[in-house]
Amino acid sequence: MKFKDYYEILGVARGATQDDVKHAYRKLARKYHPDVSKDPDAEARFKEIGEAYAVLKDPEKRAAYDQMGSQWKTGQDFQPPPDWDAGFEFSGRDFGAGAGADHSDFFEALFGRHARAAQRAQMHAKGPDHHAKVLIDLADAYRGAQRSISLRMPGLDAQGRGTLQERKLDVGIPKGIRAGQHLRLAGQGAPGLGEGAAGDLYLEIAFKPDPQFRVDGRDVYLNLPLAPWEAALGASVAAPTPEGPVQLTIPPGSAAGRQLRLKGRGIPGSPPGDLYVVLAIVLPPANGESAQEAYRTMAKAFDFNPRTKMKGDPS
Amino acid sequence: MNPIAMTFIQGPVVEEEVHLTLVELCQACNAEEEHVLAWVFEGALEPVGESPQDWRFSGDSLRRARLALRLTRDLEINPPGVALALDLLDDIAVLRAKLQRIGVR
Repeated sequence: MKFKDYYEILGVARGATQDDVKHAYRKLARKYHPDVSKDPDAEARFKEIGEAYAVLKDPEKRAAYDQMGSQWKTGQDFQPPPDWDAGFEFSGRDFGAGAGADHSDFFEALFGRHARAAQRAQMHAKGPDHHAKVLIDLADAYRGAQRSISLRMPGLDAQGRGTLQERKLDVGIPKGIRAGQHLRLAGQGAPGLGEGAAGDLYLEIAFKPDPQFRVDGRDVYLNLPLAPWEAALGASVAAPTPEGPVQLTIPPGSAAGRQLRLKGRGIPGSPPGDLYVVLAIVLPPANGESAQEAYRTMAKAFDFNPRTKMKGDPS
Repeated sequence: MNPIAMTFIQGPVVEEEVHLTLVELCQACNAEEEHVLAWVFEGALEPVGESPQDWRFSGDSLRRARLALRLTRDLEINPPGVALALDLLDDIAVLRAKLQRIGVR
């Protein structure tokens, strides 16, 4: 297990006041909140910040953490000394930021038991609903699919410690589902207490990143590279779609960036989305005598200045 | 070949086929009723129906309410702030989609 320096994570001195800690947390939390930030590391950073704050904002936990001493550095191998928390009484109240979040092993080893014990004391009749995010292929949304997904569910072991349990579910992916939508699976959440029914499981759908297709709601976008003569003269070109290749007619005189709309070829539904083919023009490399000659011939054949619409054009 | 019967779990698409009551929305998000009432008051959530007992939230409210809850819990934002943040995040999502459409990542 690696030691975590919660002061370093929040960027405050060990002697910082509770107000300093709160101020530093809020600033970092706004910056790295996964709902706000597009930083790829945002989620990991945010978890770390929340964990640091959960300890330092609570005078009891902070005092217990502090008495391990300041000689520890982030990333150092660490085992909590036996009875490190002897003499500290945790009231277990106000877990606050990141409650129920999956904390690091380090946090769990120090504070896990107290947090869980407090949570267990609450009684619910119906089990809590659970949420999970699943990644599917774009093709699954076109056709519908049956997918085995594995979820890691936080649970409690016999000692009341938090563990992650692997769970496999076979789920029907309905045709026409879009990114950001949720599937509700009745009774697949946490078990109820006593006679209470189990909670539901909500699956948030996201698409695996695709090298070819971009998705915007129901609409799907594809970049299609063309040779200059195909764009100028028109052509019939095979283009991939999530439903398989189609033969596309490129109108003569197509400019780069032109969008061809294939109506109803986006994600199915009522109404279905559209598939947009965005044309790109790729120049063949002039890397040989005959290729260079061809470009020279072109230059002679056209009286063409691509910059005539520029302001202040000297030519 | 031995045919193996596999049962796949099916469920409705919340955004299209489900309307949630106040109680169901609170259960689904693990949110306090008073929070949801405050978000409705600020216009961050817009249920159909006269009184809280009759309210029906559209499926999309699930995403908004969960986002509102995370902002409340993680950033300690009050309900008017949550309503503003939700509106701004919606605007940003629209702008990002436009950028993506014209090929800017």
